[in-house]
Amino acid sequence: MRFETVIGLEVHVQLNTKSKIFCSCPTSFAEHQNTNTCPVCLALPGALPVLNLEAVKKAMLFGNAVNATVNQKSIFNRKSYFYPDSPMAYQISQFDIPIVEHGELFVDLEDGSSKRIGITRAHLEADAGKNIHDGSISKVDLNRAGTPLLEIVSEPEMRSSEEAVAYLRKLHSIVRYLDISDANMQEGSFRCDVNVSIRPEGQEEFGTRVEIKNINSFRFVAAAIAYEVARQTEAYEDGIYESEVYQETRLWDVAKNATKSMRGKEDSADYRYFPDPDLRPVLVSEEMMEEAKHIPELPDAKVARYIQELGIKKDDALVITALKEMAYYFEEMLKSNINPKSAVTWLTSELLGRLNKAGLDITASPVDAATIATLISKIESDAVSGKGAKDVLDYMMENDERNIDTIIDKLGLAQVSDDGAILAIIEAVLNDNQDKVNEYKSGKDKLFGFFVGETMKRSKGSANPAKVNALLKEKLS
Amino acid sequence: MYNNKTSNKEENVQIDNTILEKLEKLSHLKIDDGKKEEIIHQLSDIVAYVENLSELDTSGLDASFSTLTGGTPMREDVSSKQEEVIKSILAHAPQSEDDFFVVPAIIE
Repeated sequence: MRFETVIGLEVHVQLNTKSKIFCSCPTSFAEHQNTNTCPVCLALPGALPVLNLEAVKKAMLFGNAVNATVNQKSIFNRKSYFYPDSPMAYQISQFDIPIVEHGELFVDLEDGSSKRIGITRAHLEADAGKNIHDGSISKVDLNRAGTPLLEIVSEPEMRSSEEAVAYLRKLHSIVRYLDISDANMQEGSFRCDVNVSIRPEGQEEFGTRVEIKNINSFRFVAAAIAYEVARQTEAYEDGIYESEVYQETRLWDVAKNATKSMRGKEDSADYRYFPDPDLRPVLVSEEMMEEAKHIPELPDAKVARYIQELGIKKDDALVITALKEMAYYFEEMLKSNINPKSAVTWLTSELLGRLNKAGLDITASPVDAATIATLISKIESDAVSGKGAKDVLDYMMENDERNIDTIIDKLGLAQVSDDGAILAIIEAVLNDNQDKVNEYKSGKDKLFGFFVGETMKRSKGSANPAKVNALLKEKLS
Repeated sequence: MYNNKTSNKEENVQIDNTILEKLEKLSHLKIDDGKKEEIIHQLSDIVAYVENLSELDTSGLDASFSTLTGGTPMREDVSSKQEEVIKSILAHAPQSEDDFFVVPAIIE
């Protein structure tokens, strides 16, 4: 029997506000334990939450970026659960009416196709603190408690781990372009939970979904899905699907390369949501609605523009736009009016190749966009050959000098494109090899290469090869 | 994640032993076997009382979440710290260590 995999994703994005969602504590990462806390996020009696305007704006920006409905009225609810990482004994979240719903995004798949994935909703909520387990006690650090989160829930519309990872990458890239989150997976500012189920091919209704939490890299998302699909398929084939696969939360265990059950079957959570009496509905003004429509150019739009206006290949456009910083670098290069296709080549193969080798990313590039653009313009004006330019780039990766002309001189790479100078060399070559000129003229075409080589040699490699070719043809015709 | 949503038009809830058991678990309360029948009776009365609300015709009305008018106030995104306050809170915590709050071990 063949099975279809059904995947839905919940992503928690930490919004990069300066203060927490309901109090003024800083959201800075890696501070001394419990220094970013106050009576509100510690849930002391009588302390009241006051909503951070910026968190609302960022959520709305996201809504517009994914063609969603931004609700002018949304509601905060209490989600009850008991765990020391939440001194309130509930999480303030949104339930009945989230700030954003009915959105979509488009993922780019390896075969070049694109697929629409629906976004059910995106709602604002407060993050929890952290526990450190230490023998007979647990230590609680509540610095993170109350950090604003945007939980983005997809429709169960992905059918493979490739689609799931493509969705995550696109979402990651969108929140980075919008500058609403650092989206740093290692630091936990972009966390994903994966819902996986299987169903026999052709079956209409969904199978039982299992939620996998605690996945902090795209690679682990793919591995966790693969493991869970295999586990569920095996249970189905062994006739124990009903008893083995039930709605539960599992954790991805990096060491064991497996998912494991987080809590027993009988203890499924009951969150008892109800509207938070401390917070009235979130009412967004018309002015804020308008303001939230001003979104920067997003990766999809950039790809389309690069293809249409700059004549760049789709694959290249996808590589450049995957990272916001890369796209900005590329656009910075183009400000020098160089050929966009040369810019693509020099960015994606020459510069990135060297950066990868050095273990650097684009933001740490020793050579900035304007400098590399100047170098490209020197090739375009025939001041240096393509090969010579690579030597210049190599030099800059290791040295501080950034004046391209100075480096070209220093490395002796100046290219002679002046017709007069090249003609002088050509004439000398032809004079010294009169016999070969006669042979050539009587039909020995192969000798052309000899003349080119001799001219280049006498110019010590500095002559522009294209010019040498053209001028020789003219002279020998 | 939000599949526990209760609809407005829910069937009358019958309190029985299974539901009582679940409520005991959720409320961390233990009800003596001898008292169970009485509690079931009382809970059923409470639910029946609340169900009086169903007599109102609310079709065509928007859901309402607060008896107050207007939206929740919002603050500008400015951060501040009151270090003395947190020191005092930690000092008053039943148990703390190295500026952590300390709780009994959480069994994972």
